Amino acid sequence: MQLLLNHIKSEVRLHLFDYLVLIIASGLFLVLLQIVVYSRFYVFLITLGYSIFYIIWGTYHHTRKCDLHLKNVLEYIIIGFIVILFSVIIFY
Amino acid sequence: MAIKDRIAHFFVPKESNNYRAKSISLDFLGVYLLIAFCLTFVVKNGSVQFNHVLGLATDISIQKLIQLTNNQRQKYNLSSLNYNDKLSQAAQKKAEDMFAKNYWAHYGPNGIAPWNFIMDSGYQYEYAGENLAKNFLFSQGVVDAWMDSPTHRANVLRKEYSDVGFAVVNGVLNGEETTLVVQMFGKPMANSSLLPIKTAQAANPVLHQIPQTNLKTQSIVNNNVMTPQLSSTQLKVDFSLIFFGLLIVLFGLDLYFASRMHVIRVSGKSLAHLFFLGAFIFGIMLFISHGNIPDYAAFIKPH
Repeated sequence: MQLLLNHIKSEVRLHLFDYLVLIIASGLFLVLLQIVVYSRFYVFLITLGYSIFYIIWGTYHHTRKCDLHLKNVLEYIIIGFIVILFSVIIFY
Repeated sequence: MAIKDRIAHFFVPKESNNYRAKSISLDFLGVYLLIAFCLTFVVKNGSVQFNHVLGLATDISIQKLIQLTNNQRQKYNLSSLNYNDKLSQAAQKKAEDMFAKNYWAHYGPNGIAPWNFIMDSGYQYEYAGENLAKNFLFSQGVVDAWMDSPTHRANVLRKEYSDVGFAVVNGVLNGEETTLVVQMFGKPMANSSLLPIKTAQAANPVLHQIPQTNLKTQSIVNNNVMTPQLSSTQLKVDFSLIFFGLLIVLFGLDLYFASRMHVIRVSGKSLAHLFFLGAFIFGIMLFISHGNIPDYAAFIKPH
């Protein structure tokens, strides 16, 4: 467990700016969700925006790490789209 | 391959799976995407086929609301409330009035009070009260919200009440589709010609046929309130939470084993996926727990 925590700490320290952006975006997503929770349409829109941001973030992160590969981008796209589809199922 | 190796192949980064657990490889992620796509299609078409009565998918039922209300009362050794036709008709009229005149309050824009609806339904009250709720997905959330609010809680637990009526109505309020829940309480006036329905009927509440309106109300089939045998909303939420919970476990396992083995590989960041999926699950929990009740409940007592 300690090894895992150390790995996470070193990973975040190595890419502090990237993970900070991701954490802030996640926080913003939750705050915006709380604000527009009364409207299913806006909740879906915010989730869509967050998923698109995540796909862009993944591409940017791997570009900075100089290990950008189609496999990586596809992975972020698939996960983003899974979240979008489930947000259609639940929210809209 | 032995069973243990096969399981490890799916969940642990190894040489055999190119140091990426098979269950989160691109192939399997593609399968999950396909499943999500099929589910979206099935759910949306299913909604059109079977939810023609309830335009919005919610899991709020009158029977459940009665049960939960009486459960709360029993905790405080109060008598159970009897389901009352007239109060339910009053609640239905109140909900329709709110949609028609586009307001969200106990008193209408023309000053109409909840008691006006109760009196119009023919229920002569000694005590009466009203609780409102909107935008909830589940009956439990509605009652929990009422119990968290001092005035609404006071209504639920008022010892003077003996009867209750409910209406759960979908419609458009302030330009938005929503589900309104109206709860009307009452105690009939002494020597009233209108007697409350007997306790035995509370377990199987019966609604007289209410004239059809343009609003989508809970379906009335053979004079019984139709409660969904299988709640689509609950199913959707449960399945989503289980699916994303599993994905989080898989990425968590991947992160753990990859850090132990110091694996260098070309793949997405499991840590980032965990943040993203975790935030989404949190968002689902926020969404399903949220609803709205007015700042205060309404209550009238004899002068």
